[in-house]
Amino acid sequence: MGEEELHQLIKGCLKQDRKCQKLLYKAFYGFSMGICLRYAGNRDEACEVMNQGFFKVFTHLDSYDTSRPFKAWLGKIMMNVSIDYYRANLKMAYTEDLEKAENISDGNLVDKNLNYNDLLRMVQQLPQAYRTVFNLFAIEGYSHDEIAAMLNINAGTSKSNLHKARQKLKQMIFKADSSAGGASYNSGMDCTPIVAINVVDIRGVFLNKGIRE
Amino acid sequence: MNKEKDLDDIFRKGLEDPVDEAAFREEDWAALQQMLAGQRKRSGIIYWLPILGSVAALLLLFLGWWNFKTKTVDHQQPLSHVNGPAKQGHTGTGGGPIRQTIAPKQDSALTAGYAKTPPAGTRGSKSNAFLPQSAAGSRRDTTGQLTTESAGERRQFEVLSATQGVMPVSGVSVTTQQVSKGDLSVLIGKVIGLSPSKNSKLKPKVTFRPQYAISVIGAPDLNSVGGFSDGKVGTNLGLLFSAGVLRKFTLSTGVIYSAKPYNTSFEQYHTPYTFPVTPTNVTADCRMLDVPLDVDYLVYNKHQNKISFGTGLSSYLMVHQNYVFNYAYPYTIGPTNYNVRNNGKYYFGILNLNATYQRQLNSKVGISFQPYLKLPLTNVGYSEVRLQSTGIALGLTWNLNTLTKPIGK
Repeated sequence: MGEEELHQLIKGCLKQDRKCQKLLYKAFYGFSMGICLRYAGNRDEACEVMNQGFFKVFTHLDSYDTSRPFKAWLGKIMMNVSIDYYRANLKMAYTEDLEKAENISDGNLVDKNLNYNDLLRMVQQLPQAYRTVFNLFAIEGYSHDEIAAMLNINAGTSKSNLHKARQKLKQMIFKADSSAGGASYNSGMDCTPIVAINVVDIRGVFLNKGIRE
Repeated sequence: MNKEKDLDDIFRKGLEDPVDEAAFREEDWAALQQMLAGQRKRSGIIYWLPILGSVAALLLLFLGWWNFKTKTVDHQQPLSHVNGPAKQGHTGTGGGPIRQTIAPKQDSALTAGYAKTPPAGTRGSKSNAFLPQSAAGSRRDTTGQLTTESAGERRQFEVLSATQGVMPVSGVSVTTQQVSKGDLSVLIGKVIGLSPSKNSKLKPKVTFRPQYAISVIGAPDLNSVGGFSDGKVGTNLGLLFSAGVLRKFTLSTGVIYSAKPYNTSFEQYHTPYTFPVTPTNVTADCRMLDVPLDVDYLVYNKHQNKISFGTGLSSYLMVHQNYVFNYAYPYTIGPTNYNVRNNGKYYFGILNLNATYQRQLNSKVGISFQPYLKLPLTNVGYSEVRLQSTGIALGLTWNLNTLTKPIGK
C-alpha cells in the first residue's frame, strides 16, 4: 500500500467511515495478527486482542502523528494491548514446574530447521507470564528494567521468567527435533544426525493476501 | 550466554517477519464492527465521566472553602458578654461554670461513600474476559464458530479504563445523612447525579490481589476557624498505610503529626473560665496526632499516572495546645496565655475530602500530590473550636507487594 493511499484511508477512518476502517483493518490484519499471535495462546485469543488494538486505533486515530510511520504506531498499540491482556488475565496465569527443564544441555540450536509456524507454536505453548517477558526481551528488545515497569513486576522476576521461558523453549526445540529426526543432537553419540525436513505449512499463504475484496 | 542469544535470535528472526501471515477473516471484522457500534452509543458519557468527576470534586473543595469563608461574616457579632469581676493572674483552669455558647454546636454527621457501578455483570466462563467494547459480544469458541454472549458477560470497560484513562460506567456516589452546610449538600447531590443508578451493583465476583503500600507524607496547610481568610500555615508529617481492597477502592490509615496554628475570634473560643476583660481574639498553636481513616476511589489509571478521589474521617489526639489571648488594649490586665497538655481525643470528628494524583516512578516507588480539605464535624481542642484545614500533601509511596509472580492456577 502506498503512502498516499494509506493517508487517504486514515483520513476516511478519522471520519469514522466504515469502509475505510475495513480496508485499513484488512491491510494490516496480517501484520497485527503476527504481533498478537506471539503474545497470545492461540489464534482466537490473538484475534480478541488484535480487535481491541484496532478499536483503540480507530477511536484514537486523531492522536496519530502522520509524520511518523503508521506501521510502527500500530505495532506499538498491538504490543500494548497484548500487555494489557496479560495484566488483565494475570490471575489466570500460572507458572510451570521447571524441574524437568533444568538439566537441558545446550546443543547447537543454530542448526535447527524451524519455520515460522513451529516457532510460533512453541512460543504460544509457554505460560503467559514467560511468553510475555520472552517476547518483550528477545523479540522487541526491551531491557529487564523496562519490562518490569511495563508489567508491574520486579526486574528479577522478569529475568527469572525469561530464563524459564528459554529453558522451556530449548526443551521444546529438542523434543521436536528428536521426534522428527529420531536422533538427538544432545545424545552425545557420535553419529550423523538426520536433519528433519519440515514441511512448510503453505495453508493460507496464497489466501487473501490482497486487501481488496 | 551465547546459546541464549542464539535462541533469542532464532525466535526473533523467525517470528519478526511472518512468512505465513494470518489470513483475514470476515467474522473478525464483524466482531470489531460490533465493538465500534457499541462504542458510539456510549462514548458520549463514558469519555466525559473522569472529567466531570474531577470538576465535581474541585467544585466540592472550592465550595467547601467558600462556604466557610462566607461564614466568617456571620460571626462578626458585637461582643455582648458581661464580664465578671477581675481575677488577676488566673490561668483559666479554675474558672466558673459559665460557658460561652455564641457559636451553636452544629454536630453534623456527613458520611460519604463511593459506590462503584460495575460495567457489566458477571464474567464469562472463558479464561479471558478481555474484549472491553464488544457490544453484542460475538466471539468465536474454540471450534472457530461464531458464538454470542451478552455484553453483560464481559468486563467491558476495565481494560479500556486502565489503558486509555477512560472511566468505567461508574460515577462518584456520595450519600449524605446529615449535612449542616446547605451548599455542600446541594453539591454532593449533584455528585450523586453522576452515578447511573441502574448499574449500582458491585461486581459479584472479582478475583483481586490486594495491594499494600506505605507512604511518607508532608503537608503544609492552612488552618482556621470559621473561614480561611485569616488562616495560618501549619505543617504535617506522617506515615500512612494503604490497602487496595477492591480494584478501584483503597483504604488508608496512619498517623500524622500536625502542628496547627490558627487564629480565632474570642466568640468561638469556649472556656469555663470567665475572663476579666474579654480578649479580642485568640492565637492558638495546637500539636496533635491526626489518625485518618479514608477510602479512595480510583477514577483514572493510565501508564504510571493515577487520579483518585477520597473521603473519610479523621481522629485528632491532642498532644499540646497553647493559647495566646490578645486584647484590644495592650496593657489590659488578664490572662495572656494558656497551655494544655495531652488533653482531648476527638474520634472521627473531622471529615476528610481529597483528590490525589499519584505517579509511579518504578514498580516500587511512587510520588503523590494530594490537595485536601478537612472539615470539622465536632468542636476540637480545649477551646472547642471548629477547626478546618486545607492543604496539599506531598507523599512518597512504597509499594509493599509488587506483582512479583503470577498467581498459581
